[in-house]
Amino acid sequence: MSVAPLEFVRASRWYGPVIALNDVTVEIPPGVTGLLGPNGAGKSTFLKLAAGQLSPSQGEVRLLGVPAWGSPAVFHRVGFCPEVDAFWEGLTGLEFLMILLRLTGFDERECRERAEKALQEVALLDAKDRKIGGYSKGMRQRVKLAQSIAHEPELLFLDEPVSGMDPVNRRRVIDLVKRMGREGRTVVVSSHILHEVEAMTRRVLLIHNGRILAEGDVREIRDLMDEHPHTVALRARDPRSLAEAVVRLPHVLSLSFGPEGEWVTVQTAKPDEFYGAVSGAAIEAGVSEMYSPDEDLESVFKYLVAR
Amino acid sequence: MPIYEQTYRRYEAREPLRAVRFWPITREALRIILARRAFLALLAGSWIPFIVRVVQIYVVTRFPEAGRILPVDGRLFGEFLNQQIVFTLLLSIFGGAGLIANDLRTGAILVYLSRPLTRRDYVLGKLGVLLALNLSVTLVPGLLLYALALALAPELFLKWSLAWIGPAVVLHSAVVSLSVGLLSLAVSSLSRSARVAGLGFAGLFLGLEVVRGILAQGFGLRPVALLSLRADLRALGAALFGVAERGPSLPWSWPAAVLLAVSLLCLVILRSRVRAVEIVS
Repeated sequence: MSVAPLEFVRASRWYGPVIALNDVTVEIPPGVTGLLGPNGAGKSTFLKLAAGQLSPSQGEVRLLGVPAWGSPAVFHRVGFCPEVDAFWEGLTGLEFLMILLRLTGFDERECRERAEKALQEVALLDAKDRKIGGYSKGMRQRVKLAQSIAHEPELLFLDEPVSGMDPVNRRRVIDLVKRMGREGRTVVVSSHILHEVEAMTRRVLLIHNGRILAEGDVREIRDLMDEHPHTVALRARDPRSLAEAVVRLPHVLSLSFGPEGEWVTVQTAKPDEFYGAVSGAAIEAGVSEMYSPDEDLESVFKYLVAR
Repeated sequence: MPIYEQTYRRYEAREPLRAVRFWPITREALRIILARRAFLALLAGSWIPFIVRVVQIYVVTRFPEAGRILPVDGRLFGEFLNQQIVFTLLLSIFGGAGLIANDLRTGAILVYLSRPLTRRDYVLGKLGVLLALNLSVTLVPGLLLYALALALAPELFLKWSLAWIGPAVVLHSAVVSLSVGLLSLAVSSLSRSARVAGLGFAGLFLGLEVVRGILAQGFGLRPVALLSLRADLRALGAALFGVAERGPSLPWSWPAAVLLAVSLLCLVILRSRVRAVEIVS
């Protein structure tokens, strides 16, 4: 009988009087699973429990058949990319990865090879000798991702991995995650943005207020969301030329400039088509960040909770 | 059958946990600390008393009458190691204050502990840094001084009756390095700022020294000497090497008990503070 790579059995986690995860029972199979929920839903707690960084207050979390908490030997096979910045800024990207690979048990030659390969995967090889302190937000995200994949883990937990990335690197990371899923690894990726998760996988877990609300195919959620306009914020070097290009795109309902002048906020009825069409204009206008606030997702959760 | 069960493959796992898992942590931290020139200067300065003691031994061997004002015997090593306590404090402030505080501030502790390491390995790795630094200014010069004393003045030191000096140097260096190292780490784990941790550690030592001085002057109580951790370490060294300390002295077991209690408290603090996720209730 095969064991699920990741299992939650009636797992709960409290922070003092606050419950962050409530009586969760779920089995995660190999492949990519999207963990979808608004901010504060319990996604990070779910991932920290899964990665053995937190102990469950009640119940059990099992990684490859052993308890996730207190089994560091299994961490050879686990990669974890936390949401928060987690590095020493005085080190270069290459040094940062090599230190962590040494801790995983590789020799010097292998550490260097693996570190460079991982940096190549996230398009940071050219910046490998630059200090992390000088990296942009997107580069920091990518170096965090690189440390989580450098030892080629069997299980990978990614907490909001594409947050703050420009469209080109967002696409690159999405492709990387999909490829890892195809290779048979178990990847759990959290996000509060449906289209991001949808681009990586069709299997999702919906989490809200610490509970798993639904589990299954992303298209069912997509159908629920179609009736809600989707908001996308873009930060550009030249916001006016970006606005000019974006306003011509189909399905764009409205457009506004942010108070600082660098941000353009777009409302679209078809986010997939919008993301597909915006890439060219985004590169020309020097878009450095793109994100989607989660109001639309909130409304879907409200709908699911009310049902 | 779901597709994922067909594509699923087992990772070629390495051996469960390596034996010396803490070593990469120690090595990397030492590499970063020793890259600072100011720190290297401090480390070099910590060896000045060693040079002075070597000169002292040399002068006494050449001019035996100088031994009346600069006695050369087993007590010399106790006095030397007691002097070196100040340098272990300085090295711990400038090299140890940020060891855990910086990891807590940057969140790096999260990626450390997501590797095949236990929290004990992490603490051992960080403690290894402080032990290496502190032993490099206590044990290493202490043993080297003893070897030089044997070579320069065999008529004074090559005796069975003085064979205790070597083990005493090892024991005193270990007690000083471990106590100071543990306290420095515990203070570092209580803050997310290396500067605050460094000031806290210095304040703890200086503050207790001042309080001890005031109480000893004001009330003349012998047990108040135990309040100062530096005085406790000196008292142990004095007892080991037969050095006469100024003022009334206490049985060596008292400062030893205080140091043991402080070290255990430090371990409790480290156990509660070293965790990947800060729990905010």
